[in-house]
Amino acid sequence: MTMAVAHLRLAGLVRHYAGSPSAAVDGISLDLPRGALLALLGPSGCGKTTTLRIIAGLEVPDSGTIQVAGRDVTTLPPHQRQMGVVFQSYALFPHMSASGNVAFGLEMRGISRAERARRAQAALEMVGLGALGARKPRQLSGGQQQRVALARALAIEPDLLLLDEPLSALDAKLREGVRDEIRALQQRLGTTTVFVTHDQTEALAMADLVAVMNAGRIEQLAAPEEIFERPATRFVATFVGRAARLRGQLESGGVLRCGGAALRSTTALPPGPAEAFLRPHRVRLLRPGQAPPPGYDNTLDAQLLRRVYTGEIVVLEADTAAGPLTAEMHADGEEGWHGLAPGDALRLAFRPADLAVFRAS
Amino acid sequence: MRPSWWLRLFAALGFVVLLAPGALVALISISAGDFLTFPPPGFSLRWYRALLSNGTLMSALGTSALLAAIVSVLALLLGGPAAYAIARLEFPGRGMLEAMLSAPLLLPTLVLGLGLLLVLQPLGLAATWPGLVLGHCLVAIPFAVRIMTTAFATVPKELEAAAWTLGATPLQAALRITLPNAAPGAVAAAVLTFLVSFDETVISLFLVGPRLTTLPVEMFRYAERTTDPLIAALAMSLIVFAVLMVALVERLLGLTRAMGK
Repeated sequence: MTMAVAHLRLAGLVRHYAGSPSAAVDGISLDLPRGALLALLGPSGCGKTTTLRIIAGLEVPDSGTIQVAGRDVTTLPPHQRQMGVVFQSYALFPHMSASGNVAFGLEMRGISRAERARRAQAALEMVGLGALGARKPRQLSGGQQQRVALARALAIEPDLLLLDEPLSALDAKLREGVRDEIRALQQRLGTTTVFVTHDQTEALAMADLVAVMNAGRIEQLAAPEEIFERPATRFVATFVGRAARLRGQLESGGVLRCGGAALRSTTALPPGPAEAFLRPHRVRLLRPGQAPPPGYDNTLDAQLLRRVYTGEIVVLEADTAAGPLTAEMHADGEEGWHGLAPGDALRLAFRPADLAVFRAS
Repeated sequence: MRPSWWLRLFAALGFVVLLAPGALVALISISAGDFLTFPPPGFSLRWYRALLSNGTLMSALGTSALLAAIVSVLALLLGGPAAYAIARLEFPGRGMLEAMLSAPLLLPTLVLGLGLLLVLQPLGLAATWPGLVLGHCLVAIPFAVRIMTTAFATVPKELEAAAWTLGATPLQAALRITLPNAAPGAVAAAVLTFLVSFDETVISLFLVGPRLTTLPVEMFRYAERTTDPLIAALAMSLIVFAVLMVALVERLLGLTRAMGK
């Protein structure tokens, strides 16, 4: 009988740095199934890179354990961990050719010269660099260096692939393509992967699971849609995606009294001071007096403050009885934003479930 | 900003002051006369020929070159690992080690030479190869450690971390990844320690003997006894040699800087 064991299991990882009052990593626990891609998402200094380095064995946790495929690797040095790491700087060996870089891990495993060359070539072909094996890293573009680093990490057929901000050194045009390539390759090889990023789009687009981190802790660990649609904490609601913030008093039955408006929500929180977050793309634009579509139980009369047109998207900032709100829509959608000017009256509507309500701090 | 006319003139003047003695020696070295006089009465290469046939100086040159080579190799073999430890590892007493290793540079060489003589004489090591090698290593190793520490520190730590994750032990990573990337520093350290030993006079004065003597000591004695331009010819030869060595380092290091990221 086989049991579904997590491929990677982190349990209670803590890491303090000398001279710093708070822990860099403050109790990280998670399970990652085999073949999944986990994104550690958070602002700089949230402990995501430290967590990755602890998994790789480059940092030693003060407490907590790391298990890979049921085996405790917490005390193993990095060279015995069988983990492929792509560093933010790529860390290619400047004195070796691209194939020399890729073959290095195989050489350290005592694989014969001929077999090394064959497998290095195969790994380079896998990332589309089969013809550039003889080049030195400095003779390769940033994108090519990144692929060599990926090929080098994958050539050792790692138990775990670890990527530290692998796209941050690429220019914006390349980033999206490389992102999709890495994801496709990872899925084809079925390599369990942990990926560190501060870019929410990267995390949402690539990952099976996203761990949003803040101040050394995981705020929420869930699938991308879950993270975006149902943020578990205020931090997640504000860090991932944009949201308007409404402050008010929560009454019984999930009604949020906010300025002059009473907004319905689906929260089960007890009455008290609360704040709610509302994603701009969930807000529907209506004409003054127009009846909302079914389910859009919250309506607010508003006055347009600002209109921002970016080609594909139109953003309307409006003042309402509940406070300033932002509505976002496709420029070629059905909603009649054309002709609206600052000062015009309009009506905004949204569903109760679109309000993410939290107790006020 | 382009340097002003006055600044250029001032710099040129500085160079003239610095280089004039060298130029003077160069002119005297091709003198046809019998004495160290300026201007020379005529020009010839006779003193260079005389230099080559001077057995004492030539044998001292051989001793100095061999000694400098041994010292240079030893300084790298001993100073390299120490520099690696200072640049890369964290251990108690690291700052202390670093300070101790540069201490010989702070002491007057006269003090060092006297101290060495007092210690080595009872051990029967004065005027011997081991004694000279020891004395010269004392001043050469700090240079090797300084240069190699910088060389190791400029190799990104991530490179070693990457090597570890690929299965290299810390020793393998240091030898296969960090050392090759610090090679220009090692060459610079080798050349510099060679020159330090080759030029070392004061400590040698205490440690040489009748049968084992170095070139700077013999030059010093020769110049005391005689006043012919032979010493100028020797000085010129040494200057050319030193310039070639420095040019070699500059080419090696300058080249890496041009190639590196």
